[in-house]
Amino acid sequence: MIENLTLGLSVALTFHNLLFAFIGCMIGTAIGVLPGIGPVATISLLLPLTFGVEPVTAIIMLAGIYYGAQYGGSTTAILLNLPGEVSAVVTTLEGYKMARRGRAGAALAIAALGSFFAGTVATIVVAASGPLLTSVALSFGPADYFSLMLLGLIISAVLAQGSVVKSVAMVVLGVALGLVGTDVQTGQQRFTFGIPELSDGIGFVSLAMGIFGIAEIILNLEKPENRNVSVAKVDSLWLTKTEMRRATPAVLRGTAVGSILGILPGGGAALSAFASYMMESKLSKYRHEFGTGAIEGVAGPESANNAASQTSFIPLLTLGIPANAVMALMVGALIIQGIQPGPRMVEAQPELFWGLIASMWVGNLMLLVINLPMIGMWVSLLRVPYRFLYPAILIFCAIGVYSLNNSAFDVYQTVLFGLFGYLLAKLKFEPAPLLIGFVLGPMMEEHLRRAMLLSRGDAMVFLERPISASLLAIGAIALGAMLLPAIRKKKDEALAE
Amino acid sequence: MNSKMNAKDISSGALLIAIAALGLYFNLDHPMGTARRMGPGYMPALTFWLLGGLGLAVLLIGLRNGPDRLDRWAWRELGLILASMAVFGALLEQIGFALSILVTVVISALADRSQTVKGVIGCSAFLIALCWLVFIRGLDIRVPFLPPFLGFY
Repeated sequence: MIENLTLGLSVALTFHNLLFAFIGCMIGTAIGVLPGIGPVATISLLLPLTFGVEPVTAIIMLAGIYYGAQYGGSTTAILLNLPGEVSAVVTTLEGYKMARRGRAGAALAIAALGSFFAGTVATIVVAASGPLLTSVALSFGPADYFSLMLLGLIISAVLAQGSVVKSVAMVVLGVALGLVGTDVQTGQQRFTFGIPELSDGIGFVSLAMGIFGIAEIILNLEKPENRNVSVAKVDSLWLTKTEMRRATPAVLRGTAVGSILGILPGGGAALSAFASYMMESKLSKYRHEFGTGAIEGVAGPESANNAASQTSFIPLLTLGIPANAVMALMVGALIIQGIQPGPRMVEAQPELFWGLIASMWVGNLMLLVINLPMIGMWVSLLRVPYRFLYPAILIFCAIGVYSLNNSAFDVYQTVLFGLFGYLLAKLKFEPAPLLIGFVLGPMMEEHLRRAMLLSRGDAMVFLERPISASLLAIGAIALGAMLLPAIRKKKDEALAE
Repeated sequence: MNSKMNAKDISSGALLIAIAALGLYFNLDHPMGTARRMGPGYMPALTFWLLGGLGLAVLLIGLRNGPDRLDRWAWRELGLILASMAVFGALLEQIGFALSILVTVVISALADRSQTVKGVIGCSAFLIALCWLVFIRGLDIRVPFLPPFLGFY
């Protein structure tokens, strides 16, 4: 492992990659601070810009945006009671109260330090479990793969907000959109309606940008702008001894919770932050102080969301299965670069795998430096009104998507998906499962066909192979559990925002 | 209307069923093959039947888990934002990069009543400069900057 990490560091520490990691972290922090634009929209926006660089550099930058956003989101949560990201919603509960008590600096400091600690631990978790899981995954047959992807899709739907049936429907709709284009095995055109641009399938970038970028602009514009810029004053960033003593166990527990929940498909940062808050409010010795600005309520969730945002790379890097919408975008970025994510990636592209892991740690260190001393600069970003922001997002989307193939067709496609995304939002559908289904659909079809060919058309193969059968059983249990009203209610509470 | 009806879910279900029906209709052109040797129509058939079934489930659940009315649509914002982007696609090769950005920013600005003329001009100028730097200098995409009919690049 030491050898591998050295390889990783040698990749991550080249000037070029450091620069891109830095750019990623800066952009991530900025969009984390700004409400109304999140990592999914930003990453789909910037995907076209990454084609010119090496795959590893592209992924390092995109990853920086993702975990940078977790840092940035907490800053506004604490200072303004305004969560910049979904994962920072919980931080507003105690963080803003702390700021009101005059301990804004301490809250920011523990959020950053906790995140850094959690990021470090999570990096080690990824490094240790990656090769292990990969070697397991290499023994998977097509049937096992199919079941694994099915399980991933089920869990991402079950853990999404809102109605489970509607989320499952979104997954299936995503798979359906993935069918458009040339059938790989027979060369037949499917659902292309004679449009030559569609023979390569629906554009991944257009889909993601339309549903997450464009639709979001319209949704933001229809709500009146509500940004009170009464920023809490930041005093000393130093923590007192008592605060340090109280925060430490919360950071440890939050890191553990986040590292585990991050691996789950559909889990990710928001869920683990909430789980950690619940845990602290039950376990902490100072639980009576919750609601009045308890430092545990900041330290735990902030560590958890950062740990989770890093361990959510594990299923992507080892199995090629995206755990959430951001990871689905990473799959897209890799595929466009000509790399098929999956267990063979560690062997075939060690510099990509280990370089990314090393850069995560380097990135966390950068974020600590970017965030704490420069807090004033980030807060002043909030003064940029949305009316300047959205034309910029729009233009970047338009040029970015055009530059993919130098074709206006991609721009029109994005417009249509913007309309579709708006329709889905108005009907209370969650868009994230759709994107995951879209990415996994073609791979699932391939594995399904191969598995059925090998089994001579016997569908029992999925139940006869032990790995496949147990994966399917877990999926069935997860779906079944959602039918029980008690568990469903718990989930709704946990994900309510 | 029954007070328990969830208009959002009922419309969602109907939408899913409609998509599934369309998908199954267009899938008639594709050979199904057998379970052993699946043709190009096999996976779509599975997917769209499942989608239709889920649509039906959403619709049936929606009959009783309401009430939840349909949201109002922001037609003005929706139309202007989508139009501004579509116009960009249509104009880019005709009138060049700089003017297309200007047109897009102006149309999109109409969607937000808090915009000012000064703000829109400043925003366009800034974006033209930034995009020139990033996309033309940096990424070297092959697009005319000024209108091509003026005769120079």
